[in-house]
Amino acid sequence: MKNILFLSISVVIAVFGGCNPQITKQEFAPKMYSEHPLSIVVLPPINNSTAADAKEYYTTTIAEPLTNCGYYVFPLEIVNDVLKQEGLFDTETMLNVPVQRFREFFGADAVLFVTIEKWNTTYLITSGSVTVTIRCVLKSTLTGEILWFYDDTVIVDTSGDSGGAGGWVGLIAKAVTTAIKTAATQYVPLARKANEKVLLAIPYGKYHGSYNTDGQMKIEKKTNPDKK
Amino acid sequence: MKTIVGSFFFLFLLSGCAPQPLFYWGDYSETLYDYKKNPDDKTLDAHMKSLQDIFDKSAHMNKRVPPGAYAEYGYLLLKEGKDQDGLVYLDKEQSLYPESAVFIQRIKDEMQRGKK
Repeated sequence: MKNILFLSISVVIAVFGGCNPQITKQEFAPKMYSEHPLSIVVLPPINNSTAADAKEYYTTTIAEPLTNCGYYVFPLEIVNDVLKQEGLFDTETMLNVPVQRFREFFGADAVLFVTIEKWNTTYLITSGSVTVTIRCVLKSTLTGEILWFYDDTVIVDTSGDSGGAGGWVGLIAKAVTTAIKTAATQYVPLARKANEKVLLAIPYGKYHGSYNTDGQMKIEKKTNPDKK
Repeated sequence: MKTIVGSFFFLFLLSGCAPQPLFYWGDYSETLYDYKKNPDDKTLDAHMKSLQDIFDKSAHMNKRVPPGAYAEYGYLLLKEGKDQDGLVYLDKEQSLYPESAVFIQRIKDEMQRGKK
C-alpha cells in the first residue's frame, strides 16, 4: 500500500516537474548561502520591451515581492533621487559604475540589475493577453560577483471580464479597492505577478521564516546569457 | 488506510493555503504608480494615505511595517517641508531596520545641504 502511495507521489512530482532540469537553490546560488546579503538596492530597469510604461510598472511593484522574500529593500523612489545626486541618470551609465560604489551610496549588501525583455500586449477580437519576460542579476557590493540570476515569463489572459472572481478578474477586483480607476490598476497586478514568479527562485532573506533552510528547494535551472 | 487519508490531507494543506505574506503592502504599488504618472496633490495624498494604511494594518495584524515604508513616508514629509515629522519617520525606519543607517544618514545630510 505504502509503495503505491510513494509511486503515485513520485509520478505526480515527475509530471509537475516537466522536462526542465531541476536544481536546488543551494547548488544554483551557493554564494547567497555563504555571503548572506540582507539589504538590496534595485536599480531602475533596462527596458528592452516596446512598452514605454513597463519601467514604471516594474519599479512600483518590485518592493512588495522582494521584501516578502525576506530582504531589506531600499525604497525605489528615494533611490532614484540619490542616484541623480550622484550624477547617475540613466541605467546604461549605472552599469559601468563599480558595484562596490553602491555600498558607499546606500550601505547596500547587493544590487539587483533588472532587464524587462518583453512586455507584449496582444489584442484579438474575443481575447487578449499580456506576455512579460523579466531577467534579474543580483551582484554583491563586497566582491562585485554575481550572487544570483534568473529569468522568467508570465502570460496573463486579459479577456476575462465576464468570468468569476478568480484569476485575472480577481486580481483586478483586489486592486480596485481604493477606487483608483486608471489604466494602471489593470497592469500593476500583472507586473507584481511577473515579479513574484521570478522571485520564486531567490533564496530567502533574513526576515523570512525559511531563511537559511531553503537550500534543498528545487527550482528550474537557468543559464545566464551574460556569462558566456 | 489512515496513512493514505492523512497523506492526502497533508497534500491538500500544501496546495490549499498559500503562505501568508511576510508584510502587508495594501495598495502601495497602485497609488505609487498613479503618483509617478501624474504627480499632483491628489495622487500624492492618495499615496501617503496608502502608506498610513500600511502602518495601521501592520499593527493590527501584528506584522512588522515593511522595509522602506517609514523612510518613504518621512521623505515625502521632508519634501513637503514638514522636517520635524519627517525626521521622526526616518528614525523609525532606522530603529526598525538598522541596516538602513547609511541610507537614512544620507537623506538627513542631503536635507541639511539643501537648506544652506
